[in-house]
Amino acid sequence: MTVDSTPDALYHDAARLHGAALGRLARAYEADADLRRDLLQEIHIALWRSFSTFDGRCSLRTWIYRVAHNVAASHVLHQRRTRPEAMVGLEELENLPDGDNVLQAAERALSLDRLLNMIQRLKPLDRHVILSYLEGHDAAAISEITGLSPGNVAVKIHRIKSLLACQFQQGETR
Amino acid sequence: MTNELRNPAQKLWQDQPVEGVTMSVEVIRKRAAKFERKIRWRNVREYVAALIAAVPLGYFFVTARDVFARITFGLLIAGLAWMVVQLHRKGSVRSMPTEVSTLTSLQFYRAELERQREAVNTVWSWYLAPLIPGLLVYTVWSAIRSPRPSAWLGLALLDAVIASMFYVIWKMNVRAARCLQRMIDELKAENLR
Repeated sequence: MTVDSTPDALYHDAARLHGAALGRLARAYEADADLRRDLLQEIHIALWRSFSTFDGRCSLRTWIYRVAHNVAASHVLHQRRTRPEAMVGLEELENLPDGDNVLQAAERALSLDRLLNMIQRLKPLDRHVILSYLEGHDAAAISEITGLSPGNVAVKIHRIKSLLACQFQQGETR
Repeated sequence: MTNELRNPAQKLWQDQPVEGVTMSVEVIRKRAAKFERKIRWRNVREYVAALIAAVPLGYFFVTARDVFARITFGLLIAGLAWMVVQLHRKGSVRSMPTEVSTLTSLQFYRAELERQREAVNTVWSWYLAPLIPGLLVYTVWSAIRSPRPSAWLGLALLDAVIASMFYVIWKMNVRAARCLQRMIDELKAENLR
């Protein structure tokens, strides 16, 4: 580690470079504004603390998102442990019986709320993949952070793209 | 960030306004300290609540006239203390696990689910069983003290109510454990893909 790689310096860089993404991440994991502030704060605190053990074996970005998603997943599990069935996987979301209505609603409103609503229903791991995709991370980075195999990540991204294409009524090339 | 052109969803997502995106090191230090104080106080509140519950039991223990009564209330207090210690150990109130930065999301999520499943699976041993010795001694003591059929009937009814409550708590936890196991199995399947 260099002189500039002290935990405080690393945290400063992390907050400066990825602060906005962490704010969006918190928004995807918690709908309630007060709880979201708590979650964001918890993520920042966990990050700051974690840098005392950062050994550079993975990239800073991988480390940051790993910590942030794990804190957020833990938050979701604690908030929803009484009703875990409220969360669904990508497969279930694709096969919703009222898919046509969902499609029509998506056609009417290209809205962030709709996207957030969809993300907030996902299980933590699927939520992690879709958020990473929305943040523009590539499959290799997502695989490294989540621990999912590259093939599995590719399949999930394909599904996410299809899902988003339906939501936004725009086909996209892979 | 990749060089790939952003699609509408990515653009919408990345361009959204967000609050509280930066915190200085000084602010984060203060908030970390405040967060730790909050956790400490929550722990203190848990212990105080247990203490309040133990006060009447303690009173009965001190003022009990015979050995059976004293054993009964002593066992109930010990059971309550055991429950509080286990509750604390199993993390009803806890700070973030240390593995938060070392495990991948898949590993961390699975570990959290397994920890929760373990807690609900073993609910008998740490939440229900500690109270049983005290309740049993109380039943025997009451039956000996009042050897009348009507008293025994009342005692049997009381025990039946308590047993039903235990059964309901146990069933709810079995259901929760099954649900958690399903989620763990799904994650295992994800790992194999």
